[in-house]
This record gives sequence, C-alpha cells and structure tokens, in this order.
Amino acid sequence: MKRRFIAIAVAAITIAFSGSTMLQGSALLRSSALLQGSAMAHGSAVAQASGRAQWTKTYVVEWNEPAMYYGAKTGVIDPGTDCPKGTNPEIDWIKVMVDAGYTLEEAKWLRNPANPTRSPVHGQNQMAFRGEDRANVYINPTSTPDPGLVGVSGTIGEGVNLDGDETTGFTSPTGEKGIDNNFYKTCGCWKTYRGPSRLSSGALQFNDSMRNGAWTTVIVVSGKGADPMNDDNVTVGFYMSNDKMVKDGNGNIARDYTFRIAPHARYEGILPARTSNGRIISTAPADIMLRDPGYALNLELLRARVNLEMKPDGSLTGYVGGYRPWEAVYKGWVNARGPVIESLTWVQLPGVYYALRRNADYSPTGPSGEKTHISFALRIDALPAFVMTPDASKEVASVESYKASAPRETGRTVGGLGTFVVDGIVPDRNAKVQAGPNAVILPPAASSTNK
Amino acid sequence: MNLPFNRRSFLRGLLSGSAVCVALPVLDRFLNCSGSAFADGAKLPVRFGTYFWGLGLTDTPTGGTRWVPSKTGPGYEIMPELESLKPVKDKVSVFSGFRAIGDGRANLVHWSGHASILSGIAPAASGRFDGPSFDTRIADAIGTSTRFKMIDVDASMSRQPVSYSTRTGNGFATPETTPLALYTRLFGAGFQDPNSDNWKPDPAIMLRQSVLSAVKDQRQALMAGVGKADQIKLDQYFTSLRDMENQLAVQLQKPEHCEACVVPTAPKEMPRSASVDAVRANTKTMAKLLAMGLACNQTRVFNFVHTAGTSETYLAGQSKIYHQITHDEPTDAELGYQPETSKLASLVMQALGDFLIELDAIKEGSGTVLDNSLIMAFSDTGYAKIHSIENIPMFLAGRAGGKHKAGQHIHTTGESVTRVSLTAQQLVGAPVGEFGAGSMKTARPISEVMA
Repeated sequence: MKRRFIAIAVAAITIAFSGSTMLQGSALLRSSALLQGSAMAHGSAVAQASGRAQWTKTYVVEWNEPAMYYGAKTGVIDPGTDCPKGTNPEIDWIKVMVDAGYTLEEAKWLRNPANPTRSPVHGQNQMAFRGEDRANVYINPTSTPDPGLVGVSGTIGEGVNLDGDETTGFTSPTGEKGIDNNFYKTCGCWKTYRGPSRLSSGALQFNDSMRNGAWTTVIVVSGKGADPMNDDNVTVGFYMSNDKMVKDGNGNIARDYTFRIAPHARYEGILPARTSNGRIISTAPADIMLRDPGYALNLELLRARVNLEMKPDGSLTGYVGGYRPWEAVYKGWVNARGPVIESLTWVQLPGVYYALRRNADYSPTGPSGEKTHISFALRIDALPAFVMTPDASKEVASVESYKASAPRETGRTVGGLGTFVVDGIVPDRNAKVQAGPNAVILPPAASSTNK
Repeated sequence: MNLPFNRRSFLRGLLSGSAVCVALPVLDRFLNCSGSAFADGAKLPVRFGTYFWGLGLTDTPTGGTRWVPSKTGPGYEIMPELESLKPVKDKVSVFSGFRAIGDGRANLVHWSGHASILSGIAPAASGRFDGPSFDTRIADAIGTSTRFKMIDVDASMSRQPVSYSTRTGNGFATPETTPLALYTRLFGAGFQDPNSDNWKPDPAIMLRQSVLSAVKDQRQALMAGVGKADQIKLDQYFTSLRDMENQLAVQLQKPEHCEACVVPTAPKEMPRSASVDAVRANTKTMAKLLAMGLACNQTRVFNFVHTAGTSETYLAGQSKIYHQITHDEPTDAELGYQPETSKLASLVMQALGDFLIELDAIKEGSGTVLDNSLIMAFSDTGYAKIHSIENIPMFLAGRAGGKHKAGQHIHTTGESVTRVSLTAQQLVGAPVGEFGAGSMKTARPISEVMA
C-alpha cells in the first residue's frame, strides 16, 4: 500500500475544492484517498525495495534566494546593523556621464525620456560607453576607475561555514561562528538584494518566476540509519523537474504534489551529510551546480555544504553554500541589460565587478591561485512533495546521480535575456544611429532646447 | 406562451456546487416589431469596450494596498488610486484578487497578464496570443449592424502603435493613434449623419458592394475546387469579405435617428509627447470623440489603450519614466508601498475617470451612453515592481443597458481573471458559455454583478 500512485500521464490538471478554491499546474497530485491508511509521512517513504536507504524524504523548493541577513527594522534602503548608512544610494547618472567626458548638455539629453535613443524598455544604450576612450564599461569594466559599491559592515551573516575556520567570516543570527558568505559582504547593501526574508525585490522577482513555472528544483534526502532525525549516513540530492509547482487558492505553493526528476547535464547536486536532531549538516564538501534564482542561470558551487533543518511540519529550510565563480554573476547582470540594471538597482556595474573581484575568497587551484570564486549561500524553503524517478515508475528511494541519462546540452551557458543582448545592451534595429564610442549624442539644433 | 425570461435574463444553474450563468442572445421575442428597440422601449444598442493601461496599481506584499477596498459588495469605499472614479463609482464594479494562471508557462513580463485576460490562455511567447482576444467575439455578436464592427484606439503616444485586439493571436489591430485620425475615421469621409434629413445612398458604397457581389459565383466555385486546408484559409478570407459586405449593406440603409448624436468638430493635431499630462489630455480628447462615435452609432465595440504594458509615460521634467520608477523605487517602510509609483498610478487612473465621465456626459434616453455600455478596464500586472500577474486590477464600468449590477467590489483569493472576462462577454450578450483554457477555463461568470 505504500507504493501506490495515481496514473502519471497527467499533463495538466485543474482540481476544484468546494467549488471555489482552485489548484492549477502540471504537477501530479497524489490521490488523497490512496494516502488514507498509509503510515507514510508526507513526502517521505521507507525504501524497502532498494535496500540502499532506510529512509527517504523528498521536497520541492518553493522559495530560494541568496542568503542576505537583513539588519534593519523595516524598509529596504533604511540603515541597519548590516548597512549603517542604508543601501547604496541612487546614482546621479548625469554626473556619472559628465565625469566620463560627456558635456552636461549631452548627459541631460541622454537621460531625457523624450530622447528617442532612450528606450522605455531597454534603457539608454549610450550609458555603456563611459570608459576610457568611451569603451563599453559593461564588457570592459576596468576601463573606468572603481566607482565603488558599499558593502556590508555588520558582523552577522547567514550561510554555511565552508572552510571550517570559525575565526573568519560572519556569526550567524543563532550564534554559529565562521559563516563564509563574501557574496553577502559584497552585495548585501545593494538595493536589489536587501530586505526582510522573502521580500527583497530580487528574491520576489526570481521566485515569482520560478513559482509560475520557469523551473522546478526538488530535493531528496535519504539515510541508512534507523532514525531520520539522527543519522550519520545521509545523502542530499538536488535535481531538476519538468513538472511545475502548483499554487493553492491563496497563491501559495501546494504541498504533496508529485514531481518527476528530469535528469539534467548541469543542474544536479549530491552531498554527503549527517542528521542531528533533524538538522542536516554536510560531512564533506561537494562540487555541485544548481539553477540560480538570478540572472547568472548557473549556480556553480565548489566545496558546497548544506545546513538544512527538517521542520516538524514536514518542510525543509536552511542553506546550501559554496564558492561560486563571481565573474559569471557579473556577466549575468550585464546580460540582463546593463543600462536597465544600473538604473533600476542603483549600482554602477563596474563597481560591482571591482567589489566582487576584491572580495573573492577562493581559488580552485590552491591558496596562491587567482581568486575566481566567492563564498555564497542560498537560503532555501522546501515543502514536502513526492519525487519520482525519471521514468515515473516509482518514487525515488535513494539519492543517486542521473546525469548520465540527461539529454545533451543545448550549448546555452550564459544567462540573461537572450541573444538580442549584445555586450550588455540591446541594439535598436530601427535606429539611424547606434550607440557607441563615436555616436553623435545631440540631435541637430537641440542645443537650445535641451539644456 | 408567457416565458419567464426577458432580455436581461440569464439561464442559471449549478455546476459542482457553483453558480453558472449563461446569457441569452437577443431573441426576436425581446424586440419590438421593427427590431429597432426592445419591447419595453429601451434602446437596443449596448456597447462594449476594453480600456487598458500598463503597470497595474499598488498592492504590495507588505500590505500597502492603494486600490483594493476593504469592503466587498455594494458601497465599497474609494481607495486613493481610485479617487478619479468617484463621480461614476455607482457605475463601476471593482474586481480584486483575480490572477492569470500560467499552468507552468513562464510569466512573460508585461504580456502574460493581459494576454490571459483577453484570450483566456497564458501565452507561450511575448508578442502574440495563443487565441483570439474576446473583444472580436463580442464584435461578431453585437457589432455587425454599425458602420464599423470595431474601433481600436491607442492614446498612449508610444513610439509604436499599441493594440491588443487580435482575431488570430498573431496579428493585432491597427489602432487610431491621434485624435485627428480617430475623428477622420469616425466622422470623415463615409460618415452619414444619422440625424440628417437629406440622406441618400452613397454611390461609391453601392459600387463597392456591387464589385463584391460580382465575384460571389467565382468565390463559391473556388471553394468547391480546393482541398480542405485551402478551404479553411479561403473561409477565413471570405469571412472578412462577408463582414465587409455586411458593413457596406449597413451604410446603404438610412441610419436610425440618434438623439444624442452631435457631430463634433475636427480636433487639432497634438504634439507627440508621452508625458503623463499629455497622454491624459490625448485620452480625454479621444474619449470624447469615441463617445460621440458611439452615440452616433458608428460602432458598438471598441478597444482603447491608454498606455502600453511597458508604459512610456513620465512626469514632465523628470528623467525617470513611470515604468522605471515601478521597479526601482523602494517600498517606504512606514507607508508600506512605493509613494512615487502610487502617485503615478493615481494620475494614470485619472485618465480612466476622464474616459468614463466623457461617456457618462452624453445623455441617451433616460440614461447616458455609459449606462448603455460596458467597459472592461484592466492592466497587465498586479504588483508592477516584480511583474506579478496576481491581483491584476480589473473593473467593469457602465450598466450594460441594465444588465450590470454596478457599483460593487468583488474580491477573490486567486481565482482566474477569465471569470471577469466571461462575465463581460455575457453581460453584453455574446453567446459564450465558457471561456479560457487549462486552469483558466471557466464557465462561472460572476453572478453577483449580473442583474
């Protein structure tokens, strides 16, 4: 009775409860009737058949965001223990352009909404060309001096102790020493990343997208001991699923839906761990790659570790951390259209580049190598779900790799908005004059009207 | 036989415990002997229009709503961003809490929301719908006896014409984008004053009709001689020809006297500017022309775009556009919302107030043009900062000839926007029993607002 499932071939379902509450989506709902009489907890199964694991718990990630400890009482830009002067302030772009060598008249015209070269969707492309000799600062960030990015100066941070050293890094809100999260140190006062849990604009944007079907990540936790809450031999697996999450009538992700693992050539993570009083803690680092809830698309984590908690209500919450390549993060922002990102999020992207490079704290080639990676943590909230093997024949009973059966890669490795973004800007196909180092900024006879 | 139905009746029933309504078509028994008016003397024409504005209204995750009334049912309170609707409040119903449901399809920013509302299907790609917009279905039902089956108006002064009306999902209607163009379309060449004593059939129209009639036999022969696929293509093509024939036939009949029709004077060309005040003035001028076009029975169906989904509007003198402000403005910690965004939303809504007041200013029988119309006003997003497609603001304005129990606030927790769309269709007599696809498929209009 523990392995009975409803038919798998449900492509899209709509289930009405009491004639009013609607659930929607393409995930598979386990028949509640079949659950009656089962001793199985929600989202968990005892794997008697495989013999490889004594217990398995399975989840779907309903929220994930960079672990950015919020040190203010309220608001986004307000001062707090993390950022005593609040977030990085809004930028005076006219001054920036004047400092870059444009005349005041040109700078004002570039920022004028009536300027036909300023797209209401893609921004002002000429903003890119403010480096030395009007180089494109998005792809040549060192062509301009470091404009600065104010980072976190507080001592409290969230994440995972990656290097085992309790004398470095932040102290967690619960008092744990040695939390390594230099990404937070770098970007924690950036308006997009800052805010109470689940309320920063970046987290809202990407999680809204994920929850509306852009991607689905499932987590499988299995152990070989008798007590899932205290087991020294545990494995945690992160996988993709092509089944979309389902929202309940209040817009929240619904529990207990069924998801098939979709083998993915890149996005998979398997980590050895142990459990102690329901907390899942890595026992050794692992190199993994997850789907990034951000513009970088790839969340590659070297020496990744987890610190997760199995909650009494069946949910899972906590962190997965590791060292991620910082330049990929920067390129993700550039490919999301530099002029738009800079205007909306109140940073100069070259400042982000310099700050990430400055705070990078890991080299895959050894302590003396170039610091190409930066410590990072993802805060995760997951709900109990039923996770099936890729062929949907049975519920997963253990954590194993499915990469070997993944479809071939399409070749897309860079995040962003698509191929129409060129060097951080979207060229206007209909424009008579394209942005660039030699662009004529002022329209004919504009000098008297646009001051 | 004395049937207990009249022109305002709906067939009502229960489906899975929920109320279901189906509008009745305009049956002969409901009309007077000439069919020119209802048997009870009321004017026959009920007009339908859509009114679209971009960037939603303010209702934030931190609870800072600026448009959702706390009171449901009749007598809702006027919220700050709805202040402009105060003069016509009793003729406007507010719908909150409705959402577009993607069924796993990603939220295509500034597109999925209104595409779902109009087509009933979450779109697969930006720039196209996966089905026709429902205004075309209404035009087929109630727009065949006027000179123009439908009029599309774009008052946004955007760089490209904006229309979301489509019969195929691929091509969108070409709107009139200036007051002069709209005037010329409605009252220029081909306009026949319904109140003129010197009406004569227009020889040019007679000639055009005869040309179409001349090819009728060949048309039928061609249809008989081609395969099924070509028959479908030809049928679509000939349908548009038949529409043209019908419209020409209408113009060869002496138009009915329209007491409210006063032919306006031609407006002057306005300088192009997407500033908020300029777009509002443009909207008001075009609304006045359109209202008189309705009163003069030139059309019964229209689509009116105030601003595009990616609105280009800005406050004169500011360097930021409204679209940018929705994304970059932080939420005020004390207020719980973005104050500048809310201010702009209020200004944008002033244009809707202007629009409805123009329709309400034209007396028609015992009521006004607005009383004999139904306008569905809606936006593309809920919380614009993150492009949310939940809680998209929607309104039904006008009494639809008495069928709309206006002046109510209807609130749900996450039901499909298509319920409002279906309600609109049934209120104006479109022969539609259900609308939408997947989780947005519904046969449940909002019976509370149906008389």
